Amino acid sequence: MSTTVAAPETDRGPAFRAAVPAHATFAGTLRGEWIKLLSLRSTWWVLAATIALITGISLAVAFSLDAVAADPPTASGPATATGAEVVSGGFQMGMLTIAVLGALLITGEYSTGMIRSTLAAVPTRVPVLVAKAIVLAVLTVVVATVSIALAYVVTMPLLADLDLVPAFDQARTWQVFGGTVYFLVAAGLFALGVGTLLRSSAAAITVALTVLLLLPGVLSFINLDWVQTIVDYLPLPASGSFLGGDEDSLSSAGEGLSPLAGVLVIAAYAVVPLVAEAVVLRHRDA
Amino acid sequence: MIEAQELTKRYGDKTAVDGISFTIAPGSVTGFLGPNGAGKSTTMRMVMGLDRPTSGTVTVNGKPYAEHRSPLSEAGALLDAKAVHPGRSARSHLRTMAATHHIPASRVTEVIEMTGLATVAGKRVGGFSLGMGQRLGIASAMLGDPRTLILDEPVNGLDPEGVQWVRRLVRSLAEEGRTVFLSSHLMSEMAQTADQLLVIGRGRILAAGPVQQVIDSVSGAAVRVRSPQAADLAALVAADGATVSSPEPGTLELGGIDAARVGDIACAHDIALHELSPRSASLEEAYMSLTQDAVEYRSTDTSTSPATAGALKGTNP
Repeated sequence: MSTTVAAPETDRGPAFRAAVPAHATFAGTLRGEWIKLLSLRSTWWVLAATIALITGISLAVAFSLDAVAADPPTASGPATATGAEVVSGGFQMGMLTIAVLGALLITGEYSTGMIRSTLAAVPTRVPVLVAKAIVLAVLTVVVATVSIALAYVVTMPLLADLDLVPAFDQARTWQVFGGTVYFLVAAGLFALGVGTLLRSSAAAITVALTVLLLLPGVLSFINLDWVQTIVDYLPLPASGSFLGGDEDSLSSAGEGLSPLAGVLVIAAYAVVPLVAEAVVLRHRDA
Repeated sequence: MIEAQELTKRYGDKTAVDGISFTIAPGSVTGFLGPNGAGKSTTMRMVMGLDRPTSGTVTVNGKPYAEHRSPLSEAGALLDAKAVHPGRSARSHLRTMAATHHIPASRVTEVIEMTGLATVAGKRVGGFSLGMGQRLGIASAMLGDPRTLILDEPVNGLDPEGVQWVRRLVRSLAEEGRTVFLSSHLMSEMAQTADQLLVIGRGRILAAGPVQQVIDSVSGAAVRVRSPQAADLAALVAADGATVSSPEPGTLELGGIDAARVGDIACAHDIALHELSPRSASLEEAYMSLTQDAVEYRSTDTSTSPATAGALKGTNP
C-alpha cells in the first residue's frame, strides 16, 4: 500500500524530554483502582446497603426466633439454628449487593468509556484486572466484617434470651463467620469475572444473580438426580456445606458436598471467570 | 514519533483501516484528515494499543505502546471526550490515572489549571458540557507530560476561545519537540493548525506531506485568464502542454502551467489579457477532490443554485 512519510526536512533541535516524573508500577495500578472505587458515590451506597441488609435481616431473624420461643407449641424449629447462623443470616442479601458492586466495577468502565482511559494508563491490561479483584476483595472483607460485627451487637440482647449468643471459643462460630466473609468475597469476584467477560452491566448482573440466587431455587423443583447434582455445585447450595445453613437450604438433595469441596467449588466460581478473561483480555478490542 | 507499517483493521467483513503505512515525525503538528468513518479513530485506537490490528504494526516512540515502561510519559491521548466515568469528579478522574504512574498530585493540579478546569474540578463529570469534557480529555492526555500527543477531534464542541486555545497549545507542544497527531474532519481547522497532513479515506491513505504540498499535488497550481482572444490563447497554451477549461466565454482556467509562462505566450502572440491571476486551490477543494470517492456517508447533492456553488468555491479557509 501507500508508503507515505510525513517527515520534517530538517532536524528540529533536541528531542523532547518529559519533566514530570512518572513510572508505572503494579502498586500504582492498585492505588488507582482504590481511588476509582472510593471516588464513586454508588460504591458508598452499595456498601451502606450491604451493611444495612445483613444487619437488618439478622435482627429480623432474631426477632422471629424470639417470637417462636415465646410460643412453645411451635418451638421445634429454632433448636437447629445456631447463634452464628442468625448473626450472618442476611448474607444472601449481602451477596446480591456485593455481586452488583463487583459487576459494576468493570462494566461501569465499559458503559462510560472510562475503560479507554484505564487501558491507556495500563496498556498491559491484566494488572488492571488483578488490581480490581484485590480492591474488591479487600473492601468486601471489611464490609462483611463490619456487617457481621454490627449484626452481632444488635442481635445480642435477643439471642441472650434464647441462650444463642455465638460463643467466640467455638470453632463453629468462626467457621460460619469466616465462611460468610469468604462467600461474599467469592460472590463479588464471580460477578467481577462475569462482568469483564460480558462488559455489559445489565447482562453481567442478570447472569451473576441468576447463577447466585435464581438457579438453585428454580432447579430444585426438577426432581432428577443429575439436576440435583448440578444444584449441589451451584454457589449458594455449595456454600451451605460449610455455612451449615441446612434449615434454609434450597437444595432438596440435601448436603451434597463436603465442607472442603464446598470451599473449593466456591473458589472456582471466584477464580475461573477472572482467569478466563485474563487470558483473552489482551487480545480483545477495548 | 509514530510509525505504522501495513496497519490493517477489519471488523467482520468490513475493513476499517486498509494496510496503511505512515510516519508521524516529532516537532511538528500532523493533521489526520478524512471524512467520518474513514478510519481515523480506529487508527488512533490502534496506536494507543486499545484495538488490536488485524495485521501490520504500529509503534510509538519506537515500541508498541503497551511495551513502554511508563506509557503515559510516551503518549497521551484524547480519543473520546467521554472516556470518563460520569460519576467521578474531574480531579478524581485525573488522580486515578496519575496514581498508576506515581505522578505527583501537583501535576494533576497543573493540568487542571492549564486546561481551565480549576473552577469545576470538584464537580462530577456527568454534568460537564461537551467543551468541558474535551478540556478534561486534553488534561488527561497531558498528565504524563508525554512525548507524543494523539488528539481525536480535539476542537469538537469547543467555543471559539477554546478552539484558539487548542491551536496555540498544539503549536507550542510541537515547538517543544513533541509529536502532535490530531484528527479532524474539518479541513479549515487543519489549514490553520497543521504543518503536515495525512489524508485518509475509506481506510486508505490518499495523500501525505506538508499542507501546501498536499493541496498542490491534488489541484496543481491553476491560472485564470480573461482575454478577448481566449480561443487563440487556449490553442497556444494547450500546445504548450497546459490543460484548458473554459467556465464562461472569454475566460480560461489553465492547469499545469504557471502565470508567467501564460503571460509570455500571450505577449509573443500579441494577445491582449484582461486578467491573469494565479490561484491556489484551498485545502477544502483539495480535500473534496481527494475524498469524493471515499466518503462513507454521502448526502445527495442539494446545491443546485450557481450562487451556492460559487460561494463554496470562493471560500478560502
